[in-house]
Amino acid sequence: MEIATSKGALRLLRLFFALLVVFLYVPILILAIFSFNDGDVNFPLEGFTTDWYRRFLTNPLLIDALRRSVVVAIASSALAVALGVLASFTLLRRRFVGKSAASALFFSPLVVPYLVFGISLLVLFTAVDKFLTATFGVYFGLGLHAVVIGHVVVSLPYTILTIMPLLERLSVSLEEAARDLGASPWQTFRRVTLPLLMPAVVSSFLIAFTLSFDEYAIASFLAGTEPTWPVYLFAQLRVPSQLPQLVAVSSVVLIASMLLVLAAEVGRRWAGRRYVGELEGRPIA
Amino acid sequence: MATLEATATAKSWRRRDRRATAGLISGPLLWLVVFFLLPVGFVAAYSVGGIRIFPTDGGLSLDDWRRFLAGDSIYLGLFWKSVRMSLTVSVAVVVLSYPIGYFLALCAKRRKYVLLLLIIVPFLTSYLLRVLAWKVILGDRGVVNSLLFWLNLRAPDDPLPWLLYSQFTVTLVLAYVWVPFVALPVFVSLDNLDRSLLEAASDLGASRWRTFWRVTFPLSLPGVVAGFVFVFVPTIGEFVTPLLVGGTGGYMYGNAIQDLFTKGLDWQSGSVLAFFLLGVVAALMLIFGRYVRVQSVAG
Repeated sequence: MEIATSKGALRLLRLFFALLVVFLYVPILILAIFSFNDGDVNFPLEGFTTDWYRRFLTNPLLIDALRRSVVVAIASSALAVALGVLASFTLLRRRFVGKSAASALFFSPLVVPYLVFGISLLVLFTAVDKFLTATFGVYFGLGLHAVVIGHVVVSLPYTILTIMPLLERLSVSLEEAARDLGASPWQTFRRVTLPLLMPAVVSSFLIAFTLSFDEYAIASFLAGTEPTWPVYLFAQLRVPSQLPQLVAVSSVVLIASMLLVLAAEVGRRWAGRRYVGELEGRPIA
Repeated sequence: MATLEATATAKSWRRRDRRATAGLISGPLLWLVVFFLLPVGFVAAYSVGGIRIFPTDGGLSLDDWRRFLAGDSIYLGLFWKSVRMSLTVSVAVVVLSYPIGYFLALCAKRRKYVLLLLIIVPFLTSYLLRVLAWKVILGDRGVVNSLLFWLNLRAPDDPLPWLLYSQFTVTLVLAYVWVPFVALPVFVSLDNLDRSLLEAASDLGASRWRTFWRVTFPLSLPGVVAGFVFVFVPTIGEFVTPLLVGGTGGYMYGNAIQDLFTKGLDWQSGSVLAFFLLGVVAALMLIFGRYVRVQSVAG
């Protein structure tokens, strides 16, 4: 007997699942349809066109915003992954006083609303700049560097959460073997630990990348005069004539990010399966 | 002599080891202290006038806090309205995603990860766009109203007014946005459930219904609480969705904070509101924190 559900209940659950998938995907599909509509984003549909796609490719402001977001996303996820590897490694492989406090600090950005964090950084940067201009006549200002700093903070917990499980399953004996054979700690890390961690490093990079690329709240306070893609998108949403074009770009971005996420997830699961025996230190044959 | 030397080497090793640990952890630790704790501290200090940034900033005073907590301004009322909205959203989302997590973890068998991915992927796509999509669906000439016109249920010059720019819209859209995120912790907690417990309950004569309420549901509570908290926290600080689809009716606490910083330029009141929100969230985490395993959001 199936304990979890009766036959009827299972049918109901299946139906509910299907309905929820429809609920989740229909709005996205509707947007995608409008990106090919030869008119505005209201019913009725007017006819098929790829004009909106052509138009966004020649819109320099829009391309600039996309480029800025790519730069910010690459920089912030590279930093977040590097810091995430350090944090995961230390939390799992080292003993030190205050470990639980450090770990709580690393995860705390998960439970702070981005709005509050964004304005906190805004206050910090403004206060520091005011002090710097008054005493040295220089200032940092807001801009992409500020956005990168903020995005590293909010991505860090996600990178740690992705890297830690794999590192935990990596047998310490592999690292010990390398040390016994005369490798320095750095060599051990560089030649043994890091290569084995690669799947988690790649997938945490992709997670951080998607997070940063799509992040609006923090960027809106810190971008200053250099709007990232979401900030630009938000500002343009008030101009109805721009809408179909934005929907077109967004459909492209959406599909690209879906593929990216899928690739990351498939890669992670594949690597997870491939390593199971070796990582846990069991004999391979 | 030899032992002495050995202890000395061991000691110096340990010292070196400790220094290495400090070196490794200092990077991420410093980043969070300087760019996370310090800015939050600045907001706290600013809210009581501890720092001055603009010439109009007053000195050290608790006046802004007093005005806020006494309810002399609109903000405390707005806070409670946002709490109500966030609670509605969180409960709705948990109720919607629980059957999904249950189905995937206990009934879907081999394909469960593929199906789980199907639910999660929308969450990882553009937030603004998913909100915008609802503007297209619920607008005066949007999908729903067009359908009503076409079915002759409404006259074309008389679309349903409360569909867009209302509290209802904000609640609906926020629920839409967060459902995929909560399905995950619920799924994880049910997937880790020891199946033999269900069999034991069944063997002892419990009906499916009874097994669910006495065994399955209590054991999945950590996932439910985690999901609840991870929706409540971001939605209580939400300001983007109300800006896009909320109109005046859907105006939330987060909008007030944003307005104080961008339009009103009353950063001191804004800091009071922001730090109060942070305090509420911290209190929530103190109460529910032990049920929330952060691991559950990473799958």
